[in-house]
Amino acid sequence: MMHIDRSERVFFIASAVLLVVFALAIGISGFVYGIQVPQPFAKVNPVTIADPEKSDFPTFALPAAERIRELAPGRYEVYVLAQMWKFSPGSVNYGEPSIKIPAGSQVTFYFTSRDVQHGLKIVSADGGRHTNVNMMILPGEISRLTATFDEPGTYHMICHEYCGAAHQTMYGVLEVVNQ
Amino acid sequence: MQSAAAPTSAPSRQKPIPRRFLWGWLWALPVLLALGLAWFSIMRPVQVLPRITLAPGYALTDQNGRLLTSETMRGKIVLYSFAYAQCGATCAPTADLLRALQARLPELGAEVPIEFVTIAIDEATPEELAALAQTRGADTAVWHFASADANRLKWVVGGGFGLYFAPGPDGTYLLDQGYMLVDGAGILRAEYLRAVPDIELVMRDLRLLLQEAQHSEGPARYAYEAAHLFACYPR
Repeated sequence: MMHIDRSERVFFIASAVLLVVFALAIGISGFVYGIQVPQPFAKVNPVTIADPEKSDFPTFALPAAERIRELAPGRYEVYVLAQMWKFSPGSVNYGEPSIKIPAGSQVTFYFTSRDVQHGLKIVSADGGRHTNVNMMILPGEISRLTATFDEPGTYHMICHEYCGAAHQTMYGVLEVVNQ
Repeated sequence: MQSAAAPTSAPSRQKPIPRRFLWGWLWALPVLLALGLAWFSIMRPVQVLPRITLAPGYALTDQNGRLLTSETMRGKIVLYSFAYAQCGATCAPTADLLRALQARLPELGAEVPIEFVTIAIDEATPEELAALAQTRGADTAVWHFASADANRLKWVVGGGFGLYFAPGPDGTYLLDQGYMLVDGAGILRAEYLRAVPDIELVMRDLRLLLQEAQHSEGPARYAYEAAHLFACYPR
């Protein structure tokens, strides 16, 4: 039988143990905690996404202000187009309207990109409050995520995937106002 | 002497299985396990529809003036659609789809009841709902029409199913197109948004839900849970 050095053997054993541990972790997270793999919400054509005539998701072709919609009291949905280097709606520095919602609202965000890969994280403007909104925005895919904003204040939507020369200027404003 | 001793010593000549050989096969187990998992998640021998979220609870009034609630529909596979009385040609494709599905339900040989609920977003009265059912050619034993007051509708359709609607001019409505497939446990399993889905797609999804419901007990259910775990969704 081929000779295997002791340290190499230990490495093999550790690798196999890790395999089993990871398999168990997947099993436990799925069967016990019900964690599922996230999937893109939908696939679209990024070239025609904002074209009212050709868009395969016409809500994205509405004017920016009309893409902030009240589904029910305290329930909103926002359709945001990301492109170099703005979020529409949201990027007030590019003349886009800010997103205004009442405190305590649950907001479902739909994001897609018209050009390159972008990222998104929503944090309060002072950086003190974080949300669970943290995702990649890919051209051709719609990402959907729901968050509840209990604390009034100004929040920033920040692109955290390098997307070109002015990437650092790409942010949007979300205002959570007292009713 | 040598020949007499030979038979008694024969059994002791059987070589024990080398421990190294056993250990060698033990190493193969995690590899086989990993290969098996990879095969299961790539080939998807068992397919399921994703468990998207809990469908909303509701209490509406149907075309007979009776209460229709989410609990009434518990244990049934339900396809929800949305309409209003004056939607006319806009809703015609939806009506065609549901009529065609209604006609093809016997094909499925369903052990779990499959029913349709069309929610009218225009606060329709039971009489208006009955008229809507008649114009749609609905078999009201399996296809229910229901509505409620504006506030409740907003909570159920907008807040619950996540479909935007708002009154438009001349009694029309701006209504996002959407169809929701909910399983017997009240879990949303498929959303068909923005367009009327192909009937074959809906039939496939109904078959998948039926298969899963039929294997919800016994050892087979673990295969279905594994299919959820490894996202074995139909392509």
